[in-house]
Amino acid sequence: MTQQQETLNPTRREFIALGGGAVGLASMGLNAAWAANQVELDPNAITNTDRQTDVLVIGGGMAGLFAAVKAHDAGASTMIVSKGRLGSSGLTPFAKGFFVYDAANEVLSMDEFAAVVSRSALGTSNPVYTRQLAEHSKARAQELREWGFFDQTLAHRSFMVPIKERDIPLIERVVITHLIKEDGKIAGAAGFRLDAEETVTFRAKTVILCTGSGGFKPNGFPVCDLTHDGTIMAYQIGAKVTGKEWNDGHSGKSLNPAACYDGWGDMFDRVPGTNGVEVHHDLGVENNYQAYMLGNPVAGGPGGVSGATSAAGGPTTPVEFQRSGGPEGGPPGGDGTGGAPSAPPSGGEAGGAPGGPPGGGGGSAIMSSPAMGGASAGMAIHKSEGLVPIDDRCASNIPGLYAAGDALGSYMAGGIYTQIGSSLAGSAVQGAIAGVAAAEFAAATSWPVIPEAKLAEVIDEILAPLKREAGYGPAWVTQTLQGIMIPNFVLYIKKGTMMHAALAYIEELRDHHAPMLRAANMHELRLVFETRNMILSAEMKLRASLIRTESRCSHYRLDYPEIDDVNWLAWINIYKGTDGTMQLEKQPFDTWPA
Amino acid sequence: MKLDAKIFAIITGLAVFIGLPLLFYTFGDAPRRSYLKEAISIATLVAFSLMLGQFFLARSNAALLRLFKPRDIQTVHKTIAYSAIALLTVHPFLVVLPRYFEAGIKPWDAFVTMLTTFDSLGVVLGLIAWVLMIVLGLTAFLRMRLIKRYHMPYRTWRYAHGALTIAFVTTAIWHSIELGRHTSAPMATLFITMALVGGGLLARLYWAARPVHTPIPQGAE
Amino acid sequence: MTIKSINGCIGCGECVQACPCDVIRMDPVSGKAVITYPADCQICHLCRMYSPVDAIEMSPEKSIPVIVSWG
Repeated sequence: MTQQQETLNPTRREFIALGGGAVGLASMGLNAAWAANQVELDPNAITNTDRQTDVLVIGGGMAGLFAAVKAHDAGASTMIVSKGRLGSSGLTPFAKGFFVYDAANEVLSMDEFAAVVSRSALGTSNPVYTRQLAEHSKARAQELREWGFFDQTLAHRSFMVPIKERDIPLIERVVITHLIKEDGKIAGAAGFRLDAEETVTFRAKTVILCTGSGGFKPNGFPVCDLTHDGTIMAYQIGAKVTGKEWNDGHSGKSLNPAACYDGWGDMFDRVPGTNGVEVHHDLGVENNYQAYMLGNPVAGGPGGVSGATSAAGGPTTPVEFQRSGGPEGGPPGGDGTGGAPSAPPSGGEAGGAPGGPPGGGGGSAIMSSPAMGGASAGMAIHKSEGLVPIDDRCASNIPGLYAAGDALGSYMAGGIYTQIGSSLAGSAVQGAIAGVAAAEFAAATSWPVIPEAKLAEVIDEILAPLKREAGYGPAWVTQTLQGIMIPNFVLYIKKGTMMHAALAYIEELRDHHAPMLRAANMHELRLVFETRNMILSAEMKLRASLIRTESRCSHYRLDYPEIDDVNWLAWINIYKGTDGTMQLEKQPFDTWPA
Repeated sequence: MKLDAKIFAIITGLAVFIGLPLLFYTFGDAPRRSYLKEAISIATLVAFSLMLGQFFLARSNAALLRLFKPRDIQTVHKTIAYSAIALLTVHPFLVVLPRYFEAGIKPWDAFVTMLTTFDSLGVVLGLIAWVLMIVLGLTAFLRMRLIKRYHMPYRTWRYAHGALTIAFVTTAIWHSIELGRHTSAPMATLFITMALVGGGLLARLYWAARPVHTPIPQGAE
Repeated sequence: MTIKSINGCIGCGECVQACPCDVIRMDPVSGKAVITYPADCQICHLCRMYSPVDAIEMSPEKSIPVIVSWG
């Protein structure tokens, strides 16, 4: 029998007034904002399950898989907890290119490769992590091949092969909301189950964040389950965060802009493949600049701006890495998360053929429609945002807390997308490194003791939105946040005045809305925490972008359009000050934190 | 006149057992998919409907017996039934076959997942119906040998065949109502009506032909 | 309307698991998958691709107005 769901969504009517941009705020469906909490369960009847493990891996993507496997193989008791399903959440399901450095096929040595990446990235890359990617990529690809990853479109079954072999406990559909620190080091984590009225606490000697990066639940990019959860949880307990000023410049399609599957050609349908060294300067904000200067639509189909009329100025691409077709040709496809819907891949090569001509390669109406911006809004370039590593083994400044993949601000590719296929490969490589490092740390450390009062406090915080009698709806606050942050003139083509204005809105959401979010069920409870995380991430993006008074890679300031090598050969780290406010500091390129 | 009646009977049969399911398929609310998937759906629906039609291509259908020779009816009954059983035998495979031509879960993985979802009543009913249908087909095909081997009266075999048919049809219709994407309310009604009328005819035949024991009159002791 | 309909669901739960955004839930009474939070669908098609019986029908239209950077 057919089950049709036509009018389930209560928010459709409430959001119809929403226009793009902060100016649209006043006309938003305000009635959806504040309402009584029609709670569907008894928050006082929610139970807690407590677990213990040496290494807790949070996240079930490519990084989480390898972190768990390698930590287990290094002798640590290991557990994976994931908001979704192993291999079917985050960006892993959509990345189809896997970079493999095979010395037998490559002209460049590993050091030369790292140097090329650094040149394209205008110094923003961390050559230690770039080289590490090259060094370990082949071994990781080999393991994935054995598990069947390169034999099918979907990743879950192949990911389950090593997990089943090792009998590694896998806890899916659990939203982790808190990291717990005791005596200056990591002690565990806490969250709740989506499918049961139950909170979950973990006591762990080490935690590896494989939580990916995130966006503002934008349309056109399959990143809506990634909301910087790991980064924000770690920030809350004192971890340093970097890379918030960078922007991933993926564009989508203006016809049905939310339809990420339809807008990406056959990308999502492909079976993953491998590719060798191919360094570009991609997925920055060139198209955003063109759209800003010349109006819409830009490229990608009939009515798009042609190459002949492109605006002068804008983000700088190093001569060595300029594509002959100019930015209108589109960044490369084929790479999954490094692909470009604005110019669908013309070749069938899984590794990433250069983008075709505007509108080329796609037969559907969506594929030939003009480009829309902000498909991945809120996300930085892969591996350029996340926890600040204090060494080459994915350790953060909090002892026992590690991060890998997009949750680690390793700058493996730099502040611009350089090596094709490196996002997936980098997550595999870093996951494995972090897994071994965490296992070693766990072997040398004693069990943390978490006071019961602390756990009770955390659980109270988790359940508070369910107990609120009235409050702001998380979906409405998220839409408001999107309206503030996603516009091209705020997030991408940056100006000091506009960012200060946006920051005022974000601070309002942070101080007035985030503490009063309501949740009627476990699904909404997840939305509450995601919304809070996105608000803090938005603040980080604005503050980092404000302080970086230059333009470099995917960070573009209209009021500071030049590269400033005198003041800005440095990354920006963000941490929570002793007074609770957001602090920023510079860390010179090619150095580790002091 | 008799020729016209024959043609009328054939046309009526085709209209009811092929035309009606196609009509309900056409006006059903299930979304259209690829040509391959729709072709498989249509073939499966028609095959099942024709299986139900076998009730009416039997000696229980007195009206048909007046028009056609029993031997011809039996030939048609066998031809259609074996063909439909052949198609319905591969029905579980046809469900996952299109996955071979598109991105997504691999056909074999899909097959295993599907057949091991034992907490689904529809799946369990489907498995039972499939086994019953195989038994139905095999016993029919080997009936002469079975009769010989077990010294079975032909009537006993017919009863067994009828009982097996009722069991198969019941579980299969229930399965299709539970899971069938095209089993809309009209389609389900059609299937149930066919089964009830067909089963009714069979029951009437067997009731009329039941072994009669002369009852002992009351008060005779 | 994102995930448009579920047809011929066998209740295996694959789509519920596969959805990164928790859009689909199992109905405890019918034992079948139900589109529960359609506003959160990101139209990624994972539910459709994981369904062993190809039960999910997709639509490229989102159920709530979308915010884009430019378009």
